[in-house]
Amino acid sequence: MNALAKLDAHLESRLKDLSKAKERGQKIIGYSAGGFLPEELILACGAIPLCFIQAGDNTVLRNSGAYICRWFDPFWRSQAGYLTSGKDPYYSIVDLIVVPITDNHVRAFSNTVGFYTPGIKSFVFGVPHVKDKVALEYYLKGIVRLKKMLEDFTGVEITESRLKQSIELCNRERELFRKISRMRKRRNVSVSGRDFVALNHGSFLADKETMVDILEQFIKEVSDDSPVFGDAPRILYTGSTLARGDSKVMDIVSDNGGIIVMEEFAEGIRPYWDSVKVGGDLLAGLAETYFMDRICPGWFRPGTERLDFLIRLAREYNASGLIWYQLLYRESYKVESYFFSGILKKQTGLPMLVLESDYDAVETEPMKTRIETFMETIRG
Amino acid sequence: MGNYYDELFSLCGFEHEEIEKERSRIEASFEKLGIGPDDMETADSRVRRHHDVSLEGVRKLLGAWLKELIDLVLAREEGKKIVYFGFPAILGPGLMLRASSEEVFVSAPDMVLNHTMGQIFNKLDPLLEAGEANGLPPGHALCSLWQAKIGGIAKGMIPVPDLALASSYYCDMGSKADDLVTALYGVPIAYIDGIMDSKWGEYPEYLPERVHYLGARINQAFEKAEKVLGIEIASDAWERSRKNSQPFRDNLAKLTEVMKADPVPVSLVELELLEALSGSSTGSGIQEGIKAMDILIHELEKRVEAGVGVTEKGAPRVMVRLGHTSDPRVTRLFEEAGLAVPLTYILASRGGVKVKSGENYGTAGEIIAEYEMEGGYYHGTEGQIRLYERAAELMKLDGFIAQYLYNCRPVATISHIQKKYLEEKTGLPVLSLEIDNFDSRAYSAASMRTKVETFALMLKAKKGR
Repeated sequence: MNALAKLDAHLESRLKDLSKAKERGQKIIGYSAGGFLPEELILACGAIPLCFIQAGDNTVLRNSGAYICRWFDPFWRSQAGYLTSGKDPYYSIVDLIVVPITDNHVRAFSNTVGFYTPGIKSFVFGVPHVKDKVALEYYLKGIVRLKKMLEDFTGVEITESRLKQSIELCNRERELFRKISRMRKRRNVSVSGRDFVALNHGSFLADKETMVDILEQFIKEVSDDSPVFGDAPRILYTGSTLARGDSKVMDIVSDNGGIIVMEEFAEGIRPYWDSVKVGGDLLAGLAETYFMDRICPGWFRPGTERLDFLIRLAREYNASGLIWYQLLYRESYKVESYFFSGILKKQTGLPMLVLESDYDAVETEPMKTRIETFMETIRG
Repeated sequence: MGNYYDELFSLCGFEHEEIEKERSRIEASFEKLGIGPDDMETADSRVRRHHDVSLEGVRKLLGAWLKELIDLVLAREEGKKIVYFGFPAILGPGLMLRASSEEVFVSAPDMVLNHTMGQIFNKLDPLLEAGEANGLPPGHALCSLWQAKIGGIAKGMIPVPDLALASSYYCDMGSKADDLVTALYGVPIAYIDGIMDSKWGEYPEYLPERVHYLGARINQAFEKAEKVLGIEIASDAWERSRKNSQPFRDNLAKLTEVMKADPVPVSLVELELLEALSGSSTGSGIQEGIKAMDILIHELEKRVEAGVGVTEKGAPRVMVRLGHTSDPRVTRLFEEAGLAVPLTYILASRGGVKVKSGENYGTAGEIIAEYEMEGGYYHGTEGQIRLYERAAELMKLDGFIAQYLYNCRPVATISHIQKKYLEEKTGLPVLSLEIDNFDSRAYSAASMRTKVETFALMLKAKKGR
């Protein structure tokens, strides 16, 4: 069985495995997307982390309409829909929901959790929107409170050695993702964007050690393979959120002979560029990596770090075009898209296509037309 | 010698001598704004139709907005160092900057444009369209206040500021639109960041680190302002700014008392006019507003004594979030349906419902941050809704019109929760209304009237009227 098939099989039985773990007394901790929750803390107290990253189904948005108005990003409305409808079994299995609050879309979801599902235990902590020492201290205080709450909730003390062990495990996972991702710098690419995203998405739900094994196997498999995407247009794919279940753009790019060589998303793609230091104050190390080192999402102020990073990625990954995929009503990305295309053009000469989604099936055909045209433009 | 605008300015509370004194400034600003003789009929008609100009205080309030507009438009030519902030805003930093130097002009230009180019001259649409064409397109539920601001800058009506104070403690859109202004015009930004990360059920408590963090950001904004503007924040700036603005707050509190009367003595349209001033101006607008309110409150007390009001005695009393900032037609509709509006959110938060005094902090930033945290608005969704709850008893309300602004995410978060919460906690009916409170281009009077009138009928039936 190849690595991806192994991942599929693992995820297929994952809910049953989780139920069994729950019966054994293990706690399951769900957390919302965004990459600001250090899974290490959950693992270190013997609990199981699960990130809620499912979306793309328009019917769930209709469910959310009873709890939140439609003027929010469809990913976060989807989360409200899944939370309240029971349509995502992962929401039903968790013992606790943790919400790191970033922007107002996430805050709206956190309100839904707190107000409409008071029976579900929840915990929130805030993520500042600027990066500096003061902000780092605030973030660190948030994860210190999280640690204490997890210890109380699970009854397991997060010792130095347990935390170090879980950091090493998560570092290994990040290192493997980096390795796979960097393989795509080569002219002849053997890793498709869809496979990379499937692995990354899988990592939010899979058992951590199993996931590390799968990633190691995947690297061996692709190292043996010959290149499969020689002359395909190379797409740098970016946006706020790439949910599990939202593969429309990736599918259309692939159907048109293109290859996504890099995904830069704030939600739905696990940040993997940096490892956590295992020496010194471990909590401070977590805060450093998860908050300071990590490339900031578009709702940080200013958003220039991310925009500069995109330029760097475009160059390093030899991109031939950038697809900017924003979700409807996520204003930070909408506003940035207006001025970034000019910056990208000026600094790299690359074209940029802006696509917007409300997870609606009617978007597919216009999206196809636009992507097809974009690919033809790239091919010249 | 008189001019075509004299009658309008008289109507808006300007004394003859004031018009003479300001004539060159009025004309210079009108030239930039594209206002001419042809606009006077519309302006005169709108002011008379929508505002209670029999009240001198109302006329003076309109004048206060016009004075703020002229100051705004001419700020660059008059050598001011210009600072913009967004609405709604934690006003303390702006007031302190203003109190530190006569050379600094600090304002929320979008609100000024709404209340003048919108309410008085009915000429806001071209600004909104210019905003849409310059980075804030329609169809994405983007903030129409920001469209007016960007549009005003793009059309050269208002100056490019020297510094932006970004309301990063509340609004994602505002901070990102400030980034847009930087991208387009190179304006430096002081991000006043805060994190609304309160858990449901936490209000009125809050983590002390929230005050420390927001306070540190405000203090950093002062440092940046000193550097960018070349000014020094005076050591007594906080005390002076409080002293300058305290009369306004005191008047809001007095007004809240007056509005407890039945019938309510003044329209929501005028309440909006005065309360918005307190969140938009740090200079002449607010100072003129204080004088106008002194007059207005006196006039309203007389009305209360005489039993005169804008709706019938015994009319159902509802709290609304706020009136429309650019189009009084929308605001008028509540009273036309027979509803008395004694209280708005701003009035309740600034003048009505008292907040507890907390521990003392050492820096101006932290003092401001603590004050705002206790007020509830910047605490989180629950803090906002709980203010409505407390207002029910204070103003003997019969219901709520709980508007939520679809294109303002921090407000839209309360869309469904506020109705369920308030109905459960107060037992009063709640009409939830989705609106754009700053742009009436998509306003449908028929649609809104159907909702409001039905709600009013239900409240009247409940009161046995």
